Amino acid sequence: MKPFFVLLRKEWRELRASRAWWVLLLVMGPLVGVSFISAVRTYAEASGLNGTAVGVGEAFSPLVGIWAPTFSACELAAAFLLPFVAIRVVSGDRQSGAIKIELQHPMSSFARVGAKALVLLGGWLVASLAPAVAVLLWKSYGGSIYAPELATVVIGHLLNAGLTIALAAAMASISDHPSTAAILTLTVTVGTWIINFVAAIHGGVWERAAAYTPTAMVAEFQHGLIRLDVVLIALALVLTGLTLAAIWGRLGVAVRRRVFDSAGVFAVAAAAMIACTFATASWDTSESRANSFPEADEAALERIREPLHIQANLAPEDPRRSDLERRALSKLRRVMPALQVQYVSATSIGLFEQSSQHYGEIWYELGGRKVMSRVTTVEGVLEAIYELTGVTTPIQNGAAEFRGHPLAVPPNGAATVFYRLWPALVAGAAFFEFRRRA
Amino acid sequence: MLQATNLTKRYGRLTALHDVSFSIREGEILGLIGPNGSGKTTLFECLGGVLPIDGGIVLQNGRPLTARDRASALFYLPDGIAPWPSQTVRWALEFVQQFFQGSAASAALSLAPIPSMADVVEQLDLEVILDSTIEALSKGQRKRALLAMGLLIPRPILLADEPFEGLDLRQSRDVAETLRMHAAAGRTMFLSIHQIGDAARVCDRFVLLSGGRVCGEGTLPELSALAAARSGSAATDDLEEVFLALT
Repeated sequence: MKPFFVLLRKEWRELRASRAWWVLLLVMGPLVGVSFISAVRTYAEASGLNGTAVGVGEAFSPLVGIWAPTFSACELAAAFLLPFVAIRVVSGDRQSGAIKIELQHPMSSFARVGAKALVLLGGWLVASLAPAVAVLLWKSYGGSIYAPELATVVIGHLLNAGLTIALAAAMASISDHPSTAAILTLTVTVGTWIINFVAAIHGGVWERAAAYTPTAMVAEFQHGLIRLDVVLIALALVLTGLTLAAIWGRLGVAVRRRVFDSAGVFAVAAAAMIACTFATASWDTSESRANSFPEADEAALERIREPLHIQANLAPEDPRRSDLERRALSKLRRVMPALQVQYVSATSIGLFEQSSQHYGEIWYELGGRKVMSRVTTVEGVLEAIYELTGVTTPIQNGAAEFRGHPLAVPPNGAATVFYRLWPALVAGAAFFEFRRRA
Repeated sequence: MLQATNLTKRYGRLTALHDVSFSIREGEILGLIGPNGSGKTTLFECLGGVLPIDGGIVLQNGRPLTARDRASALFYLPDGIAPWPSQTVRWALEFVQQFFQGSAASAALSLAPIPSMADVVEQLDLEVILDSTIEALSKGQRKRALLAMGLLIPRPILLADEPFEGLDLRQSRDVAETLRMHAAAGRTMFLSIHQIGDAARVCDRFVLLSGGRVCGEGTLPELSALAAARSGSAATDDLEEVFLALT
């Protein structure tokens, strides 16, 4: 057997011997269960269960109503549990001294880190059986499953787990002690939240950077949107983290050299990530086309060849701005990659700018022509663009509109599965695993 | 076989190894003797590629060896480690055997026949602890399990840091016997030992290290003559006296 596969087998065995991983598995069931049960109840009530009024079509999308909340448990586990499992796997060899033996094999340090990362990803997939059980339960209730959007959510969480593993591996390699690695990892995680927070206040460059934080990335996948730039940047970050882990795992190399190599990796990674931001391809995999305009509108917009410039006089914290961005401009960017958007405001909240003359105005400019509107809804934005370009408003195909999949069924049996069966199975498996070794 | 020339290692302002030079001959058991803190472990970690060397070179038949080349020529067995603590001794021995199997040995160095796992287990009296986890072993048992790993790894030279540490008298004698047997079969040994009695029992030649400097290198008669010449007293065959005279 090739040494890499011997190492892979050893890492898998070490993962199974790690209590942190068993705790992750144990917690995963109830975590997913809480989210799933609550989501199914809400979905059922919106669908008319117990005599409540039926909701709107969008609420009946399993993507938004079921998968996003159910899989959010994975996001929680990836942020707060998975790092400890990864740190245990990477730091364990250093703590026990096994690294001093393994390092003497001519295998590259990157291959060694790669084996650990693959096994950790495998461990995460095992933990992901909990949301997989939720999918099966939903199907058993008669719920609708649209495979592309469900696959998108799964890919998003897999990428997020990859990011966590790479980050934790890098920190565990750089620091001498697991507790330092844990603090550093959580610091980076909290740092990305701070970027999101600052972006919400200041906008601008921060807003662009915040679009690539794990939280923002997962949110887009949970809405059925795959953006090529986000995927590429996430992969670049994963590769950067694993390379740093490999560099700092070479104990026999002088620290100065390792610092120099790390600086090189950072430079290359930064350049690659900046290049990735220019990738504009994206795919809306949601059944409800949640990230797209109606097909007739998209066809009309695609015919506009000149670059459209939009200037919105709205402050970063103004709810109208987030409405405009989320409901209209994010969709518009997908159809018109050359779109230029400029936000103008003197303050971050906009509260005291309401009285200023131009606040709230949204200016559309194309080929020297200008149109102003204050409406931030999809319809308002499209109307302004059509007025500017002279395009006749397309006739919508009502039959193609997403009507939703209401399901007024309570989450029968889910509590038993997630709160009793899952923990019992995990505890039983852990018991046999540890007893076999004793 | 191998020659280390002017090896230097610094930790910030502290110089742990000062221009350390010595040679290792094929098939011998070379003892590295020195008090605690003399730089024995640092020297072994530098040779084993676990620590970077700040100066000096290692030559093999006059040709400089990179850290990667060294990794295929020698194996360093650290002291005080408990690798893969939750795994059994049996698994650990099988793992190192499979993992290092076929990892290139330096073409210019002759590789002694690799013993079978069963032989090593028997020689080091490991049968009763084969299915125990490494974390459950006593210090002496762990030391013997580590030695077994070192003997199973196919490298021409085995560097063992304190191979007798934690062993009782009987075990020390048995381990010394096993090491001699493997040296006779062609495996070269470089052992770091701070108990001079143990060193005298097993080693063919000695490198005396004190304060990060080599104070002498040679067989007991050679070192004894050197000590006598330095102190002006009569030569002795007591390694302890020789060591005290030279350090």
